[in-house]
Amino acid sequence: MKYVIIGGSAAGVTAAETLRKYDKKAEITMVSDETFALYSRCLLTYLISGAIDEEGLCFKNKDFYKANNIKTYLGKKAVAIDAKNKTLTLEDKTAIKYDKLLIATGASPKKLSAPGIDKKGVLTVRRIDDAREIISMMDKVKQIAVLGGGLIGLRDAYALRKRDKEVTVIVKSPQVLSQMVDKEAADIIQAVLEKNGIKVKTGVAAKEILGADSVSGILLDNGEKLQCQMVIIGKGVNPNSEIASACGLKVEDAIVVDEFLRTSDENIFAAGDVAQTHDIARQVKRVNALWPCAVEQGEAAALNMSGKSKAYDGSLSMNSVDFFGLGCISMGITKPKEAGYEIISKVNPGVYYKKLVLKGNMVTGMVFLGDIKAAGIISILIKSRIDISSIKHLLLEDNFDYAKVMPLVADNQEKFSAEEYKDLMISF
Amino acid sequence: MSDKHIERSADPASQKMIKKAEEENIKIAWDRYDAMQPQCGFGELGICCKICNMGPCRIDPFGEGSQTGICGASKDTIVARNLARMITGGAAAHSDHGRDIAHALILAAKGEAHDYALKGTDKLRRLAKVYGITVEGKSIEKIAEELGEACLAEFGQQHGELRMLSLAPQRRQELWRKLGVSPRGVDREIVEMMHRTHIGVDNDYKNIINHGLRVALGDGWGGSMIATELSDVLFGSPEPIRATVNLGVLKEDHVNIVVHGHEPTLSDVVTDAVKDKELIDLAKKYGAKGINLVGMCCTANEILMRHGLPSAGNFLQQELAILTGAVELMMVDVQCIMPALSSVANSFHTKLVTTSPKCIFPGVEHIQFHEEKALEIAKKIIRMGVENYKNRTKQRVNIPPEIKGLVAGFTTENTFRILGGKYRFTVRPLNDAIISGRLRGAAGVVGCNNPNIRHDWAHIEMVKELIKNDILVVQTGCSAIACAKEGLLTPESAFEYAGEGLREVCEAVGIPPVLHVGSCVDNSRILLILSSVVAEGGLGDDISDLPVAGAAPEWMSEKAVSIGFYFVASGVYTVFGTPQPVIGSENVTNYITNELENVIGGKFAFEADPIKAARMMIEHINKKRAALKLAGVMYEKTANAKA
Amino acid sequence: MSKDLLNKKKSKEVKIFCDITKCVGCKSCEIACAVEHSQSKDIYSVVKESSRPKKRVKAQSIGKRVVSLHCQHCEDAPCVKACMSGALSKDPATGATLHDNDKCVGCWMCVMVCPFGAIVQDVENHIAVKCDLCPDREDFACVAACPTGALFVGTKEEFEKKLKEKAKKE
Repeated sequence: MKYVIIGGSAAGVTAAETLRKYDKKAEITMVSDETFALYSRCLLTYLISGAIDEEGLCFKNKDFYKANNIKTYLGKKAVAIDAKNKTLTLEDKTAIKYDKLLIATGASPKKLSAPGIDKKGVLTVRRIDDAREIISMMDKVKQIAVLGGGLIGLRDAYALRKRDKEVTVIVKSPQVLSQMVDKEAADIIQAVLEKNGIKVKTGVAAKEILGADSVSGILLDNGEKLQCQMVIIGKGVNPNSEIASACGLKVEDAIVVDEFLRTSDENIFAAGDVAQTHDIARQVKRVNALWPCAVEQGEAAALNMSGKSKAYDGSLSMNSVDFFGLGCISMGITKPKEAGYEIISKVNPGVYYKKLVLKGNMVTGMVFLGDIKAAGIISILIKSRIDISSIKHLLLEDNFDYAKVMPLVADNQEKFSAEEYKDLMISF
Repeated sequence: MSDKHIERSADPASQKMIKKAEEENIKIAWDRYDAMQPQCGFGELGICCKICNMGPCRIDPFGEGSQTGICGASKDTIVARNLARMITGGAAAHSDHGRDIAHALILAAKGEAHDYALKGTDKLRRLAKVYGITVEGKSIEKIAEELGEACLAEFGQQHGELRMLSLAPQRRQELWRKLGVSPRGVDREIVEMMHRTHIGVDNDYKNIINHGLRVALGDGWGGSMIATELSDVLFGSPEPIRATVNLGVLKEDHVNIVVHGHEPTLSDVVTDAVKDKELIDLAKKYGAKGINLVGMCCTANEILMRHGLPSAGNFLQQELAILTGAVELMMVDVQCIMPALSSVANSFHTKLVTTSPKCIFPGVEHIQFHEEKALEIAKKIIRMGVENYKNRTKQRVNIPPEIKGLVAGFTTENTFRILGGKYRFTVRPLNDAIISGRLRGAAGVVGCNNPNIRHDWAHIEMVKELIKNDILVVQTGCSAIACAKEGLLTPESAFEYAGEGLREVCEAVGIPPVLHVGSCVDNSRILLILSSVVAEGGLGDDISDLPVAGAAPEWMSEKAVSIGFYFVASGVYTVFGTPQPVIGSENVTNYITNELENVIGGKFAFEADPIKAARMMIEHINKKRAALKLAGVMYEKTANAKA
Repeated sequence: MSKDLLNKKKSKEVKIFCDITKCVGCKSCEIACAVEHSQSKDIYSVVKESSRPKKRVKAQSIGKRVVSLHCQHCEDAPCVKACMSGALSKDPATGATLHDNDKCVGCWMCVMVCPFGAIVQDVENHIAVKCDLCPDREDFACVAACPTGALFVGTKEEFEKKLKEKAKKE
């Protein structure tokens, strides 16, 4: 069996590992357009902030490829798929035959169309090279504008603030983290950012990036001018699905896959940020470009590629951030737009804000800020889609813990199939 | 917002304040209770021993691990010792209260405490007789001084018997003597119990518990009875009086002063101090319409019984009163004062003042009380409250409108005067009512609040069930306040809740079906009522023959355990809500809930469901009626009596 | 005994189980766990340590039922999948879910996905901590401290057998 995987991040690496786990003899080939392998993109901002070094970026041991007997093409971009002849072509014309192919090409930062975008000092944080470039410029930079108040933008801003830079975040929406949390939580987070020296401007956008060769400032659409020597664009990502479109695979927001992570071609699978999968909370097809989802999908795709039919339950949009010691976790639907949802919340000012979004006595979303310890327990309630009415009054309590859901687990064993749940319930 | 406030309390006023606490993120007892879960099973079962430094030791309740302490103490010994020390703690608290009253009486008699008058001269003479003090040719002051000294001496008395034991039925006294449980002195039995429960002394659980009975009797017929009786001498015996209860007694346009704790020595003087014109004028200067004095817990019961002053609530409402935002000052003396009050008070403008050298809170202003300068000190404290009115934040004031009327002030003496009509000062009509079956019997429902059971709910449900079954209920302490808030302590409630026989009695005499006889030390009044009923004749020779029962459905304190034990030791079947920490020893549990009945005529039962507990009491009363070969209960409906 | 335990510790099939019918909520496991993960490993000294040790086990209750709960060392561990720094991993030999403090960046992704809420935030050091199966001792601190034998070390079969025997006795 010849397996080929395009992409060397969470989904790709997990797929390779899983394939090897079940098939010691198979020929596994990985292609990545980066030479620095096995690093976690999510940690790049930690590298920029100085919390870790390049060594610390790696999420697998250095000998991972060797130990798993994986053939690699590093620093080489895959440019074309010949689905009919089951062949992948790289930029240097290398042709690789496959029996099963996994597209795990991830995503790229969204582009900005403002004038001046090509000036020196306008950067994104997606790849190791981006981070290295930012770090190399740190001595020359005093003020930085970050475009985008979502998760990416704020993480970039946080890292740069840790480097004692004067950081201003430009947010088009009326609140930060508009995709992730509600206004209440956003306001608390924004206040903490501002208290720690990050300036946040909401409801404005960049109109033009100023400067000669290099960035010297930024002009906002409200006419305001900011002085800065660096502009970071942190406005979300687009899936790298060009290679799939080009070979005729079905692509919508991202590559369309079925519950077995299979694309419209039976020998080609997709996983991670490039795949559009079932969203558990929303019950629709959606791209949840998240590390844990990529790992789960990489594993599930690998199992299906090797013939072990394994349906993927779907993904749950979820995120965790921590700014200056204030932790925040959100999941599923946090700001329901239609009717039929019930919101319950609990606030302890200065300590925590907790909110759950319910629908038909099921939890469909949550925002926990300040007190996040029970987030994982809520996640299983969302995923299992069980009726929580009997413990509804306990969900937001300070002492909510796993014991509180044990009666539900006992009554809904079939929805909690994992061994671990059963083991715990033996004497219940 | 959740319905937590409704689950936590049955009292609508409390519910509102609990909700406010939740909204304002102020942690109160129920939150701390939740945070404490799970609570340690060893403690609940009574099988953790920390008496010596070889320990702590714990017995495995499931029989696999350690079955004895390091010293070899069995679970029976450990449970008995722990329980005995609870009795002792409770007896010590009540008795020390009694000692303070005796001390105040002596000072007042000697003229050293000018602010007290000797208001209860009838009782003084009666007690003098009990204590063998001749009254002829002596001034009231002299008699009072001698009585005070005689009572005070009983605390340190080393041999003989406490004098008030002589008020018990003859048979009971003989039984106590036979069992060797007649207390020799109040303190002696307490001290001896601390000795017996030291490492390596008493290891026979029955012997330990039996001495516990002796300690408890020293409370009920000693320390507590001295507290009650001498308070009546000093401040006058209560008379039936109308008053109001619940948080609604706080007034939005007045300076609100709450007196909280137990002893009447300060609070009684405070009732005079708030009438001071200068202080009232000062209050008006600050824009208040006057000074509103209200009580909390048993201090409330003391000033309610004697002055008809309103009660703001019971034990679990102490934090809630502050949460109204309308309390300028809360002064406290001793017992059941939550340490949390200081932090709750800090969330508002409320000033907390401690007054007893035995009860100091870190960071809280302390103004020490001296009987000799009682009024002056009381005025000083009230002035602080008045001065604090200007610091009140109007927007944070939410006084729940709930307020209920009640009649309080029943005592051993006046209850029967009322029942007997103006010309018959006897308990005959009560005995007759029981003998004829108009009343099934009587029950004492007393005790605390506890967040482990819905606030007030168990008291109310139990009492309603009892009066529905023609049982006259007497109450004290937090239990009385709970039922008062439900309106059960009014003559009118007989029409709504009482069975037909009880209703006829209430109607004829004009009393409520539930009689408030005072604070928790005043449980001693119930002992004397029972003794009078026995003395009147026709219902047996001993308290244990009477168709009566006792209960503490929401108990929490050591005092409640001591009260329970002196009732059991006096021959009363007594039901506690949640179990005492004895379940870890089958032997001790069996002894106090079963065997003890054959030893001393009374025993315990544990039942948290108040209706089930009431049914158990009813069955016990039926059993006693049958033993006395009394007529059937007059209005018995087959539907409401299974026995 | 200790050899037996040592072997048990290395076996993939062996877990720590909590017999809910025997857990009385005394929290001895919590104290023992915190002490085991302190600098001094001595209860009298622990209270004075500048960095308070974090317990990784918690006695939790619903109604009267109490369970002592810690990391279940899931075979298909969600925390390992969610960990973006590689701090969490599975030990292929013992099946334990391992956590490398040095690799942890405190992103709380593991907290977000742990179905048991068994991952604890060490806020002072900004890292996640969890049950590490007491690498410094032969047995397990929580099990050793359990005074009722509610915590049991063994295979699932052994635990079930024990429960059955107990039920028979009753």
